[in-house]
Amino acid sequence: MRIGKRYRESILALILLLGILPGYSFGTEVQIKSDTIFRLFERDTSSEDNATVLPGYEYLQVDAGELEEHGVSFHLYGWGRNDFADSDYYEDQTDGELLYGYMEYSQEGNRFNAKLGRFQTFAGVANDSVDGLYLGGALGNYFDLSLYGGQPVALDSKQGRSGDSIFGGRLAHHLGMHYEVGVSYKSIENDNKTAEEMLGFDLSMYLPADLSLYGFSSYNNETDDWAEHSYELSIPIGSIPIGSVVIKPYYQHFNYKGYFDTGVNAVSPFNWLSQTGEKLTAYGVNALWQLDDAWTLGAKAKFFSYDELDNAETYSILATWQGEGLTQYGGEIGHTSANDTADNDYTLVRLYGYCDAMAGQFWLDFVSADLLLTFYDKDIYGEDSSFFMSLGTGKRFLDDALSVTLSGDYSQDPYYDDDLRGMLTMSYTYDKE
Amino acid sequence: MVNKSLFPILTLLAVVLLVAACAGLQSSYTPPVKHPSAADLEEVPKVCTNCHDARGENVAYGRYVHTADFGTSHRPAATQGEAICAMCHQTSFCNDCHATRVELKPSLKNQTKTYRSAPHRGDYLSRHRIDGRVDPTSCFRCHGNPKSAESCAKCHG
Repeated sequence: MRIGKRYRESILALILLLGILPGYSFGTEVQIKSDTIFRLFERDTSSEDNATVLPGYEYLQVDAGELEEHGVSFHLYGWGRNDFADSDYYEDQTDGELLYGYMEYSQEGNRFNAKLGRFQTFAGVANDSVDGLYLGGALGNYFDLSLYGGQPVALDSKQGRSGDSIFGGRLAHHLGMHYEVGVSYKSIENDNKTAEEMLGFDLSMYLPADLSLYGFSSYNNETDDWAEHSYELSIPIGSIPIGSVVIKPYYQHFNYKGYFDTGVNAVSPFNWLSQTGEKLTAYGVNALWQLDDAWTLGAKAKFFSYDELDNAETYSILATWQGEGLTQYGGEIGHTSANDTADNDYTLVRLYGYCDAMAGQFWLDFVSADLLLTFYDKDIYGEDSSFFMSLGTGKRFLDDALSVTLSGDYSQDPYYDDDLRGMLTMSYTYDKE
Repeated sequence: MVNKSLFPILTLLAVVLLVAACAGLQSSYTPPVKHPSAADLEEVPKVCTNCHDARGENVAYGRYVHTADFGTSHRPAATQGEAICAMCHQTSFCNDCHATRVELKPSLKNQTKTYRSAPHRGDYLSRHRIDGRVDPTSCFRCHGNPKSAESCAKCHG
């Protein structure tokens, strides 16, 4: 496990701190969610061909404190795995991870929010896991500010954690339902050397005729290059005979030098891309036609234009039907024409279904099915197609607190012949006020 | 270049300003911590705009409607409206796809939830050879740091 001693001590200290805070003792509410998963399949390992692999996973989430109202709360989520077949399949891989574990305080009225511990932060250019402190809140009616600092979890496996740091924040200005603009900053150091220093700008504008414009740009301050521009317009068309249509044209531009050059943080297979001088411009449109409460039809088209490589494009159409509860059936067919860029084209077909309306009619509560077919224009390892199918079913017990699901999938593709895998999932939710 | 030696001082100053400002100012709107559960609602709505205005007084709920393409287009809404997402989704829900540290890819961990949009369905090992060359930026967004690239390192080194 990579859950270090220092971190375990920190978590323990946080729990103790929660316990001694006056008026905020544990017991206000406790929620525990557990997913226990067993899988069964065969793989070639370093010591055996067709070795049986039988991993058991536990994904555990604990939330305690003021969960329904503003106040103090504690949140933890992590997983662990054990291969009961004792194969070599997972050698050199971590067998568990603490994804987050933090104490949180939130306040009504000014949106003040503080997190201490391991947390995920989404703040403009940041989408990072941090061991440290987060502070955010409103600065009056028109501004929001969020700040974070600590050690980046992403670097804990790279030459230890000494000298690693991350800090940054986002300042946003908003005017009612007219617009919101944000500027953000993130700096990451690995062993006291700058790994990343990014600046960001994000935008939402709510225009007349229900038009909306969303956008994001980022700038690599280390290489002095723009990294990304992504902007999308949402155009609702309400006045048609049946249902409603939303059309979303978008534009994206990536400068590989600014986007992929993350200094000492750069990893394979991306680190060489920053040296190619490539610039990618992508534009396209998504269109969704909501016929009624049940039917949705959609179409997508995206075009890729490169400075160095030949162009590429993807097209797809989709249809979904939504019934009671989570019942849904749908399908999608798409084609990627990569020309010389990827040295291949492919067509993907997906059909899926989830029937949630079986309770009271059968002993089982739901069934699911998924089918994916891929056809490659050029063979991959001598195969010109992939076939994947999964089937599943399950039943809920204890007033839906416990769900037991059994599923399996079969794949025949360029990498695996006749690959059959089984899976048993038991999901349990405990909630006590 | 931004002078890095100034950042600890600027950060401390910003923290002090934030705390002081939050202590004295009231903002226009604070979203509830949690959305009412299905059990609390007499009729379970399918989309946000069954009950809320697409452009409400405080929140543009229209941008949070989980349309058929929401799985691939929710980035701007999530970036600017984390508190709105958090009313229904805890971070663990996001981690299924975004953390890339849960080992099981989302379409496998939630194999029976075929109604959920999930990246890398089916035989993505073959398709990623093409997708990765067409648009490596989309790979990098989730697999671009030493920890999240561990799943790539097995083959790519």
